Order: sequence, then C-alpha cells, then structure tokens
Amino acid sequence: MSETEVVQENTIPLLEIKNMTKTFGPVVALNDVDLTVQKGDVLGLIGENGSGKSTITSIAAGMQKATKVESMRYKGKDWAPSSMLDALDNCGEGAHGIGMIVQESGTIAGITVAENIFLGELDQFRVFKFGPISRRKLNKAANEALEAIGITNVRGNMPMAALDFQSRKLVEIAKIMLKDPDVIVVDETSTALAHDGRQILYNIINKYRGTEKAVIFISHDLDEIMEVCDTLTVLRDGKIIRSFKKDEFDADAIRTSMIGRELQGDYYRSDFTPSWQEEVVLECKNLVLGDSLKDISVQLHKGEILGVGGLSHCGMHTLGKVLFGAVKPQKGEVLVNGTPVKNEAFAMKKNIGYVSKDRDTESLALTASIKDNIAIGGMEKYAIKNFLIWDPSEKKYVDEQINNLSIKCSDRNQTTGTLSGGNKQKVVFGKWVGRGSEILILDCPTRGVDIGVKQAMYQLMLKLKEEGKAILMISEEMPELIGMSDRILIMKDGEIKKEFIRSAELTDAEIINYMI
Amino acid sequence: MEVKKIKFDKHTVKKLLTLLMPIIAFGVLIAVFCIVVGAKGYKLDRYIEIIFNQGLVLAIVATGATFIYTLGSFDISLGASTLFSAAVGVMVYNSTHSLVVMILVIIIVAVGCSLLSSTLASVFKLPVFVTTVAMMSVLSAISATIITKNGGALGGISIPSSVVKPLDNMGFKIAMLVIFMALCVFVFEFTKVGRRQKFLGANPFCAKLTGISLNKYAIIAFVMAGLGVGLGAFLTLVYTPSVTPTTAGSLGMQILVAIVFGGMPISGGPRSKIYAAVVGGFSYILLDNILKILIQGNAGYGISQIISAVFFLALVYVASLNYRSKNLPR
Amino acid sequence: MKKHLAKIAAVALTGAVVVGTTLGLTACSGGNGLPNIGDDETAKIGVLVSDVNGDEAKAFRAYYENYLEKQYNVDFTYTEALENAAGERAAIETFAAQGYHAIISLSASDRAMQIETCEANNLYYAVASGMLDDAQYEKYKGYECFVGQIGPDMTTEYEAGKAMGEYYKTTKNVSKVAIYGAFIPNPMHVYRAAGILAGLGLTYGGQSAMDAVVGQIFGDQGLTVSKISGPVTVSAYVQGFNPDVTFGEIGGAVATQPDAFLSVGMATTFFSSVFAGANVQYADIDSFTEGNVAQMSQEGGKLTYLAGKYASSIGPVFAAVYNAVHGNVIKDNGNAISIGQNYGVATTAEAAAKYQTADSGNNPIINKSLLDTVIGKDVTFDTFKAFVETDRTPA
Repeated sequence: MSETEVVQENTIPLLEIKNMTKTFGPVVALNDVDLTVQKGDVLGLIGENGSGKSTITSIAAGMQKATKVESMRYKGKDWAPSSMLDALDNCGEGAHGIGMIVQESGTIAGITVAENIFLGELDQFRVFKFGPISRRKLNKAANEALEAIGITNVRGNMPMAALDFQSRKLVEIAKIMLKDPDVIVVDETSTALAHDGRQILYNIINKYRGTEKAVIFISHDLDEIMEVCDTLTVLRDGKIIRSFKKDEFDADAIRTSMIGRELQGDYYRSDFTPSWQEEVVLECKNLVLGDSLKDISVQLHKGEILGVGGLSHCGMHTLGKVLFGAVKPQKGEVLVNGTPVKNEAFAMKKNIGYVSKDRDTESLALTASIKDNIAIGGMEKYAIKNFLIWDPSEKKYVDEQINNLSIKCSDRNQTTGTLSGGNKQKVVFGKWVGRGSEILILDCPTRGVDIGVKQAMYQLMLKLKEEGKAILMISEEMPELIGMSDRILIMKDGEIKKEFIRSAELTDAEIINYMI
Repeated sequence: MEVKKIKFDKHTVKKLLTLLMPIIAFGVLIAVFCIVVGAKGYKLDRYIEIIFNQGLVLAIVATGATFIYTLGSFDISLGASTLFSAAVGVMVYNSTHSLVVMILVIIIVAVGCSLLSSTLASVFKLPVFVTTVAMMSVLSAISATIITKNGGALGGISIPSSVVKPLDNMGFKIAMLVIFMALCVFVFEFTKVGRRQKFLGANPFCAKLTGISLNKYAIIAFVMAGLGVGLGAFLTLVYTPSVTPTTAGSLGMQILVAIVFGGMPISGGPRSKIYAAVVGGFSYILLDNILKILIQGNAGYGISQIISAVFFLALVYVASLNYRSKNLPR
Repeated sequence: MKKHLAKIAAVALTGAVVVGTTLGLTACSGGNGLPNIGDDETAKIGVLVSDVNGDEAKAFRAYYENYLEKQYNVDFTYTEALENAAGERAAIETFAAQGYHAIISLSASDRAMQIETCEANNLYYAVASGMLDDAQYEKYKGYECFVGQIGPDMTTEYEAGKAMGEYYKTTKNVSKVAIYGAFIPNPMHVYRAAGILAGLGLTYGGQSAMDAVVGQIFGDQGLTVSKISGPVTVSAYVQGFNPDVTFGEIGGAVATQPDAFLSVGMATTFFSSVFAGANVQYADIDSFTEGNVAQMSQEGGKLTYLAGKYASSIGPVFAAVYNAVHGNVIKDNGNAISIGQNYGVATTAEAAAKYQTADSGNNPIINKSLLDTVIGKDVTFDTFKAFVETDRTPA
C-alpha cells in the first residue's frame, strides 16, 4: 500500500482538504496535511495524542481556523465555517453540514438537558414572539430527539448537572444528530461510554455507512477502530503517515505507523497465571451508598491487580472514591491494613493513591506546572522535617518522576494543561507512584491515552505488582481488564455480580453477559 | 527529560511580558512620578516619604491577604477588621497604658476576626466570601459604636501621640514591612503550607483528592491575613494615633486593586505571587498621586478614577494574555 | 529562570523605593521654620475638606475660589473628600511637599494630628468649621503653627438647636414634632439635637443638662424616642441617609402627623420634596443658600425656620492665615486665637432672602473692603476679635 489516501473513483468527495497547516504558538499541530472523506465511508483517524487528528476535524467542523490551507471543500464547494453552528447549519445549498462530538464535555452544567439540546434555538418554543418559553413543548422536543437515537433513561427536564459523564455525552450526541448532519465527527467519544452507550453510537454509525453521508471516527482503541471503520488514516506529529483499507487492517502495522517504530515487548501481561500474596491490604465490608453501592465487600491483596468492570452507572466509580475515603458510605467500612479509612488525607498517610476517571477535573491542576502537580503528592519524601521545602530537593524529586515516566515536556515548569492526554496521565501517575503509594486505586487509568503510553502504563502496573504493590483497576475496557487483572469483579446496579480469576480462556463475551 | 534553553521568540516574549508587566509598570510609574514631581518643582524626597506612608498599611495588609486570594477566595472585611483591631487597641491602651499589651491585643483581635470568618464559613458550609461580607458589616458597626460612645464630641478615639511618636519613622516602618514580607515569603515559598495553598487555588477538587483539606488551609490563610491586618492596624495608629469610624474605610477595595496591579490572578492558584501585593500596592498609590498632581482639585476626581480603572483593566488584560492561549484544543 | 527574573526585578524595585525613601528622609530632616512671604508672593493655602457635595461646602468653596482668589494674591487648593485621619495627614504632607504655606481645615477626623503634622511640616494651621474641644485647645494653643479657630463651637451648636426648639414651642405652639438627626453620632449633630430637646422643654432619660443629654445621645448612637418626655410629643425620629431606606422612614415619620419636622441638618438637600408633598413644615440648620431660600419662599416650600451661616463666614479665618503667612501671626496673649461665630436665623422667606442677597457670590457680606480692615501688619487680636463678633444680620 502506497502512502496516499484512499480515493474512490467517479465521485465528488464529501470533504476534501489540501495542504492544511495549523500552529498553536510554537507547536505545529498540522503540517501540510491532505484529507479526503468519501460518501458512505466510515473513516477512522488514529494517532498518538497530539498527532493532529482532533485539530484537522475541529477545523472542518468550525471550532477553529487553520493557520494556512490551500483549499477546503465540502460537497465540491469552498468550505470555511465560522463556528460549529455554522458548520452544522449553513452549508450553502440547504444541505446538511458537519457535526462534531467533542472529546471533553460539550454541554453546559447549569441548565436542563432540553435547554442544552436546543441551546441558542429556544425562540422556536416561545408561546408568542418575545413571550415565555413553553417548557412542555421544549421538553417534548428534547425527549423526541433523545429517543430518536435510542436514549430512554435521560429526559429533557433533567438538570444537566445531575447526569453522569456518559449521559452527558449521549445528550451531546442527540443534540448533534438533531441537525441531521451529513458528516459526523466522533472524537474519542467511545472512551467516555460504557457498553450500552457505545451501542447507541455504533447504531448511528451503521446507519451512515454506505449512504450519501460519512463518519469520521477518532479513537485510541485500536480494536474498536478496526471493528468500526472501513478505512483508516494514521497521523503522527501533524502529518498523514499512511492510510489503510479494511482488507489491509493489521494491528501491528497500524501500531508501527502510529508510533513510528515497532512496539517493543509485551502490551498486556504475557502470563495468564493469577497471583497475589495472602496479606489483605485494603478491604471494604458491606458498603452501602444509595443505588450505587449495595452491600459491597471487596478484598485487595498485596501484589494483586484487581480489576473492577461494568457499565458506566454500575457503581464502580463510586466504589473507587469510597475506598479512598473521598466519599462517605451510608453503611459499612473501609479498612487499610486493618485500620478504618477516615478521609483522603488519612488514606494517603496509609500509602493509598487514587487516580480519578475525570483526569482534567479531579486528578490535575491544569493551570499549574508539571512540577506543581507531581511535587504536591510527594512532599513527605523531600520536605525537610516534613515541613520545609528546599527548592533543589523538590526539583530533583520532580525530575526523577519525569525521567522515570518519560514525560514529554519542554521543562518541569510547563503548564500541565498544554500537555497531551497521555503525558497528562503520566504526570498523574508520577504524583502517586513517586510518593511510594503501596495501594493504587486507578479509575480508567488509560482513558484517552494513546497506544504507546498505554503500553507504558501497563508495564508500569506490572512492575508495581512485582514490587508487591496492590492495584485496584476500575475500567470500562474489557481487553484491559482481561489483559491485566489477577481477578475481575463485575458490577451491575451497585452489586458485584461475578468474580473471574485470570485465565487464558477468559473472553469479552463471557464477561459482558454479567454486565448487561 | 529534555530541557530547552529559553529562546526569545514571540511566545517567550509574550510570556515574559505577562510575568514582568506589573514590575515594568511599577518601574515606569516611579519614573513618571519622579519626572512629574520634578517638573512641578515639588520636593521629591518628601513625596517619596508620603508615598511610602500611604502605601505601607495597604502593602502589609494586602500581603497577608495574598494567602486568601491564592485560594481563589476573597475577603471584603479586611478594612473593617483593621478598623476594629485599631479601635480595640486604642481602648486597651487607654486602660492599661501599655504599648506592648496594645500591640498584642491588636494582633490577637485581628487574627481572631479572621479566624471567625473562616470558621463560620466552615461550620455553615458557606463560601468564605459570604461570611466576610457579614463580618464587614458587623465589625464596622461595632467599631462605630465603640468609637462614638467613647470619642464623644471629638468624633474619634485616640492614644496620646507621644506613645507612638518614636515609632513614626521610616526605619521602624521599613523594618516592619521587611519582617512581615520575609515571614510571608517563607511560609509561601519554603513550606508545605504555601505549596498546598497554591494547589488548592489551582484546583480544589484535585486538592481534596490529594488529601489537602480546604478548611484547614483556609484557616491558615486567614490567620496569615489576620497577622497582616493586626500589623496594619498597629501601623495605622503609628501614622495617626486616632481612630474614627472611617479609618481604613477604603482599604478592602484598595487591596483588591493592589493585588491585581501586582500581577496576581484573581482566581489564585500556582501563579500567585507574594510580592504582588507590595508591587501592586505601591504602584496603585504612585498612580493615584501622579493623577492627583496632574489633575489637581476635586474637578479631576472622577477623571483620575476613570484613568485608574482603565489602567487596571489594561493590566488584567495583559496578565491574562498568556493564560488565555495556553491550553491547546486537542 | 523567568520566575526568578520577576522576583529579582521586584526586589530591586522595592529596594530602590526603600533606599530612595531613606535618602529622602535624610534630605528633609531639619526644617526651615514657618513661612513668611513677601507681598508680591502668592500665598498658597491648602484646604482640607471631608464634604465636597453639601450646599454649605459648595458655598464655602465658591467664596474662596471665585471671590477671594480674585481679590488677593492667594491660591487655594482643595483636597478631594478626605475619608479619615490618614487621608488628612497625607494631604497635609502633600501640601508641604508642594511648598504650600498654610492649611485651613474643614475636615475633623483628627484635629490634634492635623496640628502636629502642620507643626512638623512648618505649615500655618487654622480651623474654619467645628472647633477643638477645650482640652485639645488647651494642649495645642501654644503651638507656633496654630493660628486659631473661628466658627461655631459645640455650645453654639447646642444653642442653635435650642433656639429652633424654643421657636416651635413658643411661637408655633406645636404639641407634636418629628426629629431628623442627620449624621448622629457626628458631634455637631449630637449637640444640635440635644439643643432641640432643651428648646422644646423636653428631658432625655430624665435629664436636661447639656452634658448629660449629649453624653446619653453619644451612648445611644441616636435618639431613643421612649427616653424623651415633656410637654411636646416627639412622634418619630429618623437619622442617617440611605436612599433605599431613609425615604421610607421619613414617610413613616410624616405619617405620624407631626406639627413640624425639626432637622439638625441636610433636610432641604435630602427631603424637601417629601415635606412639600406631605404638607409638613420643617426646620433646618444649614447655610443661606439658594436652595434653602427657595424652600422658604416658593409655592409649596415648607421650610419655616432656617439657622444658617454666611458662605463668607469663613472670611475671617482666611484673614488670620493670610496675615500669618505674611509675618503677622495674631495671637491671644501668645496663644492661638479662638473666636466663636453665631448662626443667623430666618423664619420668613423675606428674611432668608435678605441673608442670601447680602451674601451672594460676587457680593459677599464679608467682602474685600471689610476684610482689608483686618489684613495687614498692624492688625491686633482685639481688632480682629471685634471684627469677627460684629453682628451682620441684614437690616
């Protein structure tokens, strides 16, 4: 296969971009890139964090402007949308435009679901011109929009803030689909969705496949992208590296294209033997918390990787927070080495670390530097008399973490918000691993992380396990749970439905049965 | 780790400009001030002393307040606390005739007021700002009562000027400023407390999940602010040994302006700087005096306020230049 | 590195200010004595003010800036509204740095500090509104810089209130009044309010002596209606001014249907339209300004008693200061002068108009030709005292 994009003959492409360049300050995000999207295609874009895949699609969808572009054409006409709404609504001929479901949350928390869906277009629900808005009509229309894509558990009158991450994402999808766009861009959306949410998304994609419309699907999950997409384009460092047709899909070849070298060593654990020491380091007994946790008891052993899986609402994320002392259960207790966990500070004193699923909000201070984020976790390690901070010791400590985890950055003072998703997650790991956490609670530790970093994370977890540390990994990704865990607990509706022990025979299908 | 040398491209220049802007502005203001005073034929040495005296209490109270601002919080009651502490100090001196007891009581009262604000906020689970608004009203009212009940026809209460006269000199005042600054810099830059304060300001959710208790560090921040208020109240008495209900009346607002002038982000967090209050406080006083000299008399009062406001907005804009383009959309 | 750059720059600049200040201190130590200027040199006088918006304050300012500056070789510079003692000290020191010769004070946050600061800065100092209390006067009367104080003292304020009360009790035969206390606990307003009670023949907390009543009002931070007793009923009491609240309170007070509304000050400025609308007569202590006279004369105006000062009543204090900076410091047996000034009273539109006409902008009652009699090298304390105490009620 030559390094050109896939072109179907005798058709005008839906979207055609030539020689697009985009820079953010000194960072070149796109470097003279060409991209063509044909009708009926489900085109996968894959690449490491910062490779430019979100940038090129966000320019086509009106979120930002290119620094330089020779031409961008949509349905054969020049295309330069001024905003996301413009890209959806005004495509020249009354035809349908380009809609993008963004990676992070694209909804507003302080208003209702219906108001989010019809944001900026509420006038159509006024009782009369300049009159009040008819809530009944608004909510009805919102419910119809949600039902149209198969969402029944979210209603128009619900406050947005009451929804979890998955539901918020689904509302956003409903909002975009209401405009019936001819091209939808799905940017890392599936990582926010559990199994049921993903099904909704796949149904939409399948409806587009082979029609006059097209889908651009961006994901880090190689298995998923190979399953969903018809063609695949790999980006690296702002350049198109290679395109693949369905029949050319090969996981190793794609990975090699993505990272520019062959992946050395194992991806997941190579062994299939469950192993842990007898000592129970963290346990919870009969935890009860609303509908999220119903009489949950779990034991985590020294040297064990304990996977916890389930659908997004199953209660596993809450369990992680309760185990760390961040949320108080209504009943039951959490014990670390036999002592009750009172709060986060106590948990940390007992060497527990916690990586939240919501990285940008709960695991990092984005406006702070890498140094600030790493150092804050490990002050006991380098503070003189556990109080005084001596700058050189602090820097030395931070640099060690940066080196050990190979964090790509200009220097330790770089603002964390400017890092790619994978490097952000490495900073989070640096904070917790550096301080010598003996017990790690990792909630979706590889969400939105590219394949190279994922491999590094898995290998790090394995190393920690070998050092006798205990890891509780909460994940929505089956391959990761199967690939890494000694035991897997499957939760559903706040209860543990099944425990699996590591084995070579364990399959996705077997586990999913207990989740849904 | 790959460490790059600083390259002076336009982005680095923009970053540097953002960082140095308040200090450059301070330098420019000093230069303009000297030129204006010289051109008018006024006594520069005397004017510098006036500027220092006017800015001293502001700089000290604002430096203490930096700890609160770092948390992304806000205390509107600092002026009222200064008034209250000074008023109680005067009453205590007049009954004990001991300067040492007066100073101790002023500091204790100031820290107590501050602690009360933060404790109320923590007990009633309110934003600290809300309790400080209430404290401002309460402290102003109590102070006014103390002052007018005891001040009678004089409209104010005072200690004999001879008590503080020996301290009303530049050496003592500079020493106070330097000692307090040193204490704050030490806590802010060289202890776990300072690091945690900044982190709390950057992301309180993440800080909570890193075992940092907002309540505990809010209390520490308010204690530091209280120390600043106490010292400020004492130096207010050194400057003018009397207290009227309007003493330190505009201090609360001036602190906010000074901190922004000094380049401190209102949202607090890791970019908080302890020197911001001093640089900003004196910058503000310099600007105010320059405008007063240029536009003398009451007719110009509104105009100088407008110019100050424009200057304020320009600084906030420049300070946020770098920040706004910092996070890449990817 | 960049972070350090900022820190270093900050420290350097702060250091520069500190060093500059210390040098400045060294340079300024050692005064040159109080000013004594020649006739051809402009006398530069700084005026301390805390109120810049009141009718009286504006009238005073117009007299100095629009009249006296044209008649004499003098330059008046007003401060902005000074909020507190720190503002007063900074203002005096600024005037000193600008080479001013004297300070006339209309601001009363800390008079003692004002005198001490003027003494330290070699500026002549005089009080034009509100007087020092006896103990303070005794303490500072020997200060070289202290020219003196000319204006109504607290006893005069009490008497002004008392005269108002007596007028309504005996001439108007009121049986029920409401009182507006303006900015009590401002001492001037406290004394006037105590005077009003005395004039109406009322006791406060069972007491009637001036000092006892004044002390109680300071203690109560206002008048407590239930503590008032005597032949006239006080049906309502209001003080302070907050547009959101006070109009409602005044409305409530008017609803008690008093025969008159007695105010210790600012009534025309704030409430004239309310009283006109409710058809309630009122009394005020202010100046003979256009606004006040209009309230007495025009249709619907309900002001029936006005105790006031001439705008040019601050002329004599100027004369004393002007003399001082030109070398003739008038002293009363070696002490700073202290002379009381009384209020004029008008109870009819005609009388008020006479006061106003007699003391209008370009034609003040204390005009240049009168002032010239007390300006010069040979003016003595006796001449000056007689001049101030001359009754200038218009014929």
